Amino acid sequence: MEIKPIFSALMRSRTGPILVAVQVALSLAILANALHIVNVRQAVSARSSGLAAEESTFSLRSRPLRAGGHEEQIATQRAEIAALRAVPGVVSVAQTMQLPMSQSGNYNSLAAKREQLKESTGAAVYVTPDSLIKTWGLKLIEGRDFNPQDVLEVDQNVSKEFPNAVIITRATGERVWPGAGSFVGKTLYFGTGKDAREARVIGVIEKLQTPGAAVGDDGETSTIIPARLTNGGRVIYAIRAEPGQMDRVMRDTEQAVRNLHKGQVVVRTKTTLDDRTSRYKADNALAWMLITVSVLLLIVTASGIVGMASLWVTQRRKQIGVRRALGARRVDILRYFVTENVMITTTGIAGGLLGALALNQLLVSKLELARLPAEYMIVGAILFWALGIFAVYGPAWRAASISPALATRSA
Amino acid sequence: MIQYYFMLGVRSLRRNPALTALMVLILAVGVAASVSTLTILHVMSGDPYPQKSGRLIVPVVDNGPTEGYTPGDERNDNQASYTDAVNILNSKQGDRRTVLYGVAGSLEAARNDIGVFTVEGLAPTRDFFDIFEVPFLYGQPWSAAEDKDASDVVILNRKLSEKLYGAVNPTGQRVRLMGNNYLIVGVIDTWRPVPRVHRIIGGEGAFGDEDEFFIPFSTAIRHEQSHNGSMNCTSYREPGWQSLLNSECTWLQVWVELHSASDRANFQNWLDAYASEQRKLGRLKRAAPNVQYNVMEWLEHLKVVGKDSRISAWLAFGFLVLCLVNTIGLLLAKFSVRAPEIGVRRALGASRKEIFTQFLIESAVVGLVGGVLGLILAMGALSLIGSISKQLAVVTSMDWMMLFVTFAMAVSAAVLAGLLPTWRACQVTPALQLKSQ
Repeated sequence: MEIKPIFSALMRSRTGPILVAVQVALSLAILANALHIVNVRQAVSARSSGLAAEESTFSLRSRPLRAGGHEEQIATQRAEIAALRAVPGVVSVAQTMQLPMSQSGNYNSLAAKREQLKESTGAAVYVTPDSLIKTWGLKLIEGRDFNPQDVLEVDQNVSKEFPNAVIITRATGERVWPGAGSFVGKTLYFGTGKDAREARVIGVIEKLQTPGAAVGDDGETSTIIPARLTNGGRVIYAIRAEPGQMDRVMRDTEQAVRNLHKGQVVVRTKTTLDDRTSRYKADNALAWMLITVSVLLLIVTASGIVGMASLWVTQRRKQIGVRRALGARRVDILRYFVTENVMITTTGIAGGLLGALALNQLLVSKLELARLPAEYMIVGAILFWALGIFAVYGPAWRAASISPALATRSA
Repeated sequence: MIQYYFMLGVRSLRRNPALTALMVLILAVGVAASVSTLTILHVMSGDPYPQKSGRLIVPVVDNGPTEGYTPGDERNDNQASYTDAVNILNSKQGDRRTVLYGVAGSLEAARNDIGVFTVEGLAPTRDFFDIFEVPFLYGQPWSAAEDKDASDVVILNRKLSEKLYGAVNPTGQRVRLMGNNYLIVGVIDTWRPVPRVHRIIGGEGAFGDEDEFFIPFSTAIRHEQSHNGSMNCTSYREPGWQSLLNSECTWLQVWVELHSASDRANFQNWLDAYASEQRKLGRLKRAAPNVQYNVMEWLEHLKVVGKDSRISAWLAFGFLVLCLVNTIGLLLAKFSVRAPEIGVRRALGASRKEIFTQFLIESAVVGLVGGVLGLILAMGALSLIGSISKQLAVVTSMDWMMLFVTFAMAVSAAVLAGLLPTWRACQVTPALQLKSQ
């Protein structure tokens, strides 16, 4: 092999090769970390909310101009849900006070014991007099859904009553009773101390994200309690439409509620996918920004390699001519430049891998990012080897095409 | 001579068009990437009240329970309970004080073509408008008497006023808002402080939309207007509005404008005295420190500049360094073919210093051109980012300072990149060069 002569040639003029190696190292360090962040964010925004058919689910929020008293509000809620169920194309409706990923909702602290000083976890509290499990297609893994007898009607202006049944997500159960295999039948406390309310767990669902949909387990600590509330709290209807009929069903349900109130109402609808988009807007914006920088990185690095390689070819015209005249084939010249480049990029990649780890360490310590898995470094290394060979191929081919007669003749 | 070198630099741009274009483009892209992320950081961490941000204070006392509390734990909440808020409001501390919370409801327009729609606004006290220097288009803030009487008066923002009444002065008219008739006493002009320090908690956050209307805090309380924002209760409170006011639920934001920033020590004394008095009364339970934040401390405390913006800025700067290394290589290539020229100049008496100046200026010219192009690219990038969302649009406007930073960054990057190639150019031995020709 000709590694030794190439190496000693490289050692004679070091600046150019060092510059190329530094470029490769910098790009690799940034690229590996950028792609890692992109992937982490994509994984976060691709998480399931627990809803079976997000694309055909939406919410309708009704705010009548005149709410009336407790009885009237109950009657209104019943009339509204009946009007919604009557709209063709509506599969299922359930009243709720908040929605997953909507970024606004009620949370409460939970505990396994009343005497506990510190809460076991905070959790989102979904309040419904209907079945969110049916409407959202949540997966019940233990116990049962609410039945109408569980539902409590509470006028929040005068009553502190609290229903005595609760459905929790698996994540909530594992936070409150770590290690317990089954949660049904256990008593859950909302709050701690003498004011805490207690409810018996009657069912466990696989997953339902909180309105905040935070990253990790925190985003899945939800509870559902069976109650119909008046005087305080929002009235939102979660609605599942027949697949493919979303737009029409959304229009028709809005109109149905308007007609019910003879126009004296503010109605707003929003699809679950819109909630998802706004929840993850920042993640997607960052991902696109990083992808753009990564593409630019590759282009700049490639152009740097092309530029330097072209310069060396120009500088070594005469030598190439001499080598060709002494019997070197085109493929030998080509191989020389490609080998030289691989040696430089390899040095750069070695530096880049260290740089990637160092940069990751910095991001971990300053910005609480996750550790960089080895795959990114391996993929990054392969990518830059390929990029190096691809970039040098043009200049190397031009070098190989130099005619020995012309190159040696000129001054 | 420097002017002449500058001309030479401009001319040499044309000498190696492909190489020069590549150099300028790479420099421009690097500068654009870092300038656009830096602009976002700069605007996000901006000070909307530079004359008085040091003496605009958010006082916070910790009213959490002692159960499960050990000194040094995190504070219960950043907002205030009704009791604390009203006590601070009535304290006569500082020049001005205000308490506010978000309200939202339906507005029934008199015009049939508009109908009913939802509006979001604030319920502050009169001093809010002076504290935050809110510009008025028509009318003025409601009076202190109207604050006291909890009058049904409202101030609209310009957009809502124009939607309802067109471009006329609507003061004196009545509008049906959240089920009550309010007298319009004023209209504020477009008001977009960035960040919206007065309402970072609850609502749309630091870069959200304008507040559409304002009603007196006392009026909102009298109408039992439920809050639009966040509320933190550590225990179950009794049902009903009055019990909310009596409870330790935190849902209000308090601002105090001190006479000068040096009054903070006095205010701290007052706050400590107030808190210990409340502790004696048995209301405040924790022996936690009472904290006051000025505007910039408040922004820092609430982490208004997101982690994501910092990541972007860091990586963009890494990218700029890469572009710099690339430019060094390309300049090296560009200057290396000029060795004969340098040889002749040196032989004719030019000193190394002269050569150094000439080539460094030539690098600076590349930087200048890269800066112009980078500026255009950065503006394009910012408007692209701004078009993604309304919230981002607020933070993607460039000011003179960033304009200057762009150029300074581009030129200094190019000069920095030019140092090594220029030094190399100075090392040319005239005799050798002349001989080889």
